[in-house]
Amino acid sequence: MLEFRDLRKSFGAVKALRGVTFAVAAGDAHALVGENGAGKSTLLKILAGTLRPDEGTILWQNVPLHLNSPREGLERGIGMVYQEMLSFPNLTVTGNIFAGRELTRGGRLLEGEMRRRTRTLLDDLHLTISPDAEAESLSAAHRQLLQVARALAFDCQILVLDEPTTSLTDAEVDHLFAVLQKLRERGVTLLYVSHRMPEVFRLCERITVLRDGSYVGTYDAASSAPEDIVRAMVGRDLPPRAEAAEAVTRGPIVLDVRQLTRRPCFQDVSVQVHAGEIVGLFGLVGSGRSELLETIFGLYTPHSGEIRVGDRPVRPRSARDAARHGIALVPEERQRQGLFFNLSVRHNLLLSREAASGGTLVRPGQERADAEHLLREWRIKAASVDVPPDSLSGGNQQKVVLARWLATAPRVLLLDEPTKGVDVGAKFEIHEIVRRQAASGMGCLVVSSDLPELLSLAHRIVVMREGRIQGELTGDAATEEAVMHLATSELRDAS
Amino acid sequence: MRKLWHLRELSTVAILLIEILFFGWYLWPDGNRPHPFLNLPNALLILKYSSIYGIAAVGAAIVIISGGIDLAPGAVIALAGVVCGGLFVEAGWPLGAAMAAGLLMGVASGVLTSVLIVAVQLPPFIASLGVMGIARGAAFIITEGRYFDLSALLVGGWRPMGIPADWVAPIVMILLAVVFQILMTRFQWGRSVFAIGGNETAALFSGIAVGPVKTSVYVLSGLLAAVAGVVLAVVQGQGKADLATGYELDIIASAVVGGASLSGGRGSVMGAVLGTLIFGVLRNALPQIPGATFYDRLIVGLVVIVIVVADQLLLRRSSTS
Repeated sequence: MLEFRDLRKSFGAVKALRGVTFAVAAGDAHALVGENGAGKSTLLKILAGTLRPDEGTILWQNVPLHLNSPREGLERGIGMVYQEMLSFPNLTVTGNIFAGRELTRGGRLLEGEMRRRTRTLLDDLHLTISPDAEAESLSAAHRQLLQVARALAFDCQILVLDEPTTSLTDAEVDHLFAVLQKLRERGVTLLYVSHRMPEVFRLCERITVLRDGSYVGTYDAASSAPEDIVRAMVGRDLPPRAEAAEAVTRGPIVLDVRQLTRRPCFQDVSVQVHAGEIVGLFGLVGSGRSELLETIFGLYTPHSGEIRVGDRPVRPRSARDAARHGIALVPEERQRQGLFFNLSVRHNLLLSREAASGGTLVRPGQERADAEHLLREWRIKAASVDVPPDSLSGGNQQKVVLARWLATAPRVLLLDEPTKGVDVGAKFEIHEIVRRQAASGMGCLVVSSDLPELLSLAHRIVVMREGRIQGELTGDAATEEAVMHLATSELRDAS
Repeated sequence: MRKLWHLRELSTVAILLIEILFFGWYLWPDGNRPHPFLNLPNALLILKYSSIYGIAAVGAAIVIISGGIDLAPGAVIALAGVVCGGLFVEAGWPLGAAMAAGLLMGVASGVLTSVLIVAVQLPPFIASLGVMGIARGAAFIITEGRYFDLSALLVGGWRPMGIPADWVAPIVMILLAVVFQILMTRFQWGRSVFAIGGNETAALFSGIAVGPVKTSVYVLSGLLAAVAGVVLAVVQGQGKADLATGYELDIIASAVVGGASLSGGRGSVMGAVLGTLIFGVLRNALPQIPGATFYDRLIVGLVVIVIVVADQLLLRRSSTS
């Protein structure tokens, strides 16, 4: 149905695609997986028509396809749902679905007709949202499904989804999958791009792996194991999962949070982190975990409670203040909260240290040497320290934000989703960095939605739910089921 | 920002040189008459009149790099001039004290703008639009239609520290341009301004003191506009409430022509000052072309568009290669 034939694309010296050939059969749910930089995005951009291949063709129903815009794709029956959720927050649901091809008669908008069709479409997807709701009032999941609805309004035959679950909770993912399953029964072909193995195996029957711009192979989901696919993606065996709780040399308490409350986000939260310890903080979206980290980091003022670093009580009033007390936070969204795209990697790396030290003069020579040292130390792949961060892969961008904070030599490292949207290789490297820091006596508090990651990384897992600490799990007791149970069950002592 | 002199500033210098060469050729006189454009007194005249814009453009460039905008400079120039002139001429204050009072007006305007932006969280456009009205209004209330003639009291060739009065404005402009160019490129404070303009949320998360830095940026913009106003008052010898009307847009245009991006995070102080010289040369030379008098605003407008479009094309090329 959809066939990629020997696609090649280079950006300067970088070969993004080195001859990719594979076909998606009609009615299949086909997964496309690969690390960041494997060429998935380039492939999708070529399919959408925003990039032209240097060589090779795409066949759509056995006819060469040359799209000039996503709009043209929709008209030919190719719907695309993007990771970054391109909706118009200021328009209604109806407005979003019909944006760019509104139904008109003699130039006048047919509001009623569009609303009626939207309602049919929403009912079809079992979405209980109003056609008149503004898109910005919707949850992330609903906005994602809105894009699916938009594609369906064009009667698409193939739906291409690019990492649609990055910002969704498990329940929302379930809903999305139910909708996708329904579409499959109706004969819609799916091309599903993702990092997440469980999702891929849940939804798809065929899996195509790309690595370094080359086609590795297409696998039958039924006859292969997730480990095989990961090995194909990475091109090597992964190091064994580090045994948690083993050989922990706990030092004194470095971070002591006592009954911290910031309504309405969290109440009465007490957490201790020892030197050399990695504490995992797990909770569903809305449990208050990110807000807790940001409050410890001085971005918000708590209503009550106490924060101690070492044995001194601290009251950080800003991130700068927190940094001076030895607290560092690697934020959840590196694009929005972490990186400066107008500044070079060198400045990005050293900003926090310079801001915290309160120095006035910038010494370019010293700065360059320090930045180059950081690149080497954390194995960040960048052409030089003078390039802007958008020329780096997601994993390396994340390492830049991490390295920036490690350069301040903090005593307490707070990490919010440290491996969100990075590839498998970078993920393991980031884990290694965190372990090394802990081993050298830093206290780490890690928030992650990726439960297997948290289980392998953390010595101890604290579970939050609806702004309260729900419990703590260590060693063998810390299993995926136990953590999920705590995170989702009612408060035991509530009544 | 690796070098103090960036490629972008060199291209602004190139535009300025091309402009000067063009007018030098176009206005070449017949016979042995002196050149009406290429002569030393005229060069000094251009510098003198451009420096009022140039001094304020230093502040405007910094505001724009921080991702904001300041519409108040024109009004603050008038207010500072009027306060300085009024105190000197009518209240009989010593010149130094009157000048200091004028500068204080600029600081006050800047503080008000920054409070509205940082504490009240108004968009910079709205906050500075309001302050622009307040400053201009205050100038009119103070003067009640009069104008203060400082030149009558500054007779006998006023020479601060032995410098001829005509040279004061250009020297102040060049000094300020150099000082702030260095502050923006070599100091932690300047780095923070670029960071805030590039990504304010990330700046907050990176431990940059976003509030204090933004406050300093707007206070500085007010202060520098007041410097321009005070210099204008002493050099031209007059304080008038309707002086410098519409300067704010010329100043912003100069900063943009000098490489500043209105979306923040990009630009340079030196470029903005060079930008005011580009406009200064235009304003000086165009009236000397017979019949061009009525075209000068139009040509200035076209020049802004051409330079910025050329800049974007250049930028696009360098970022894709």
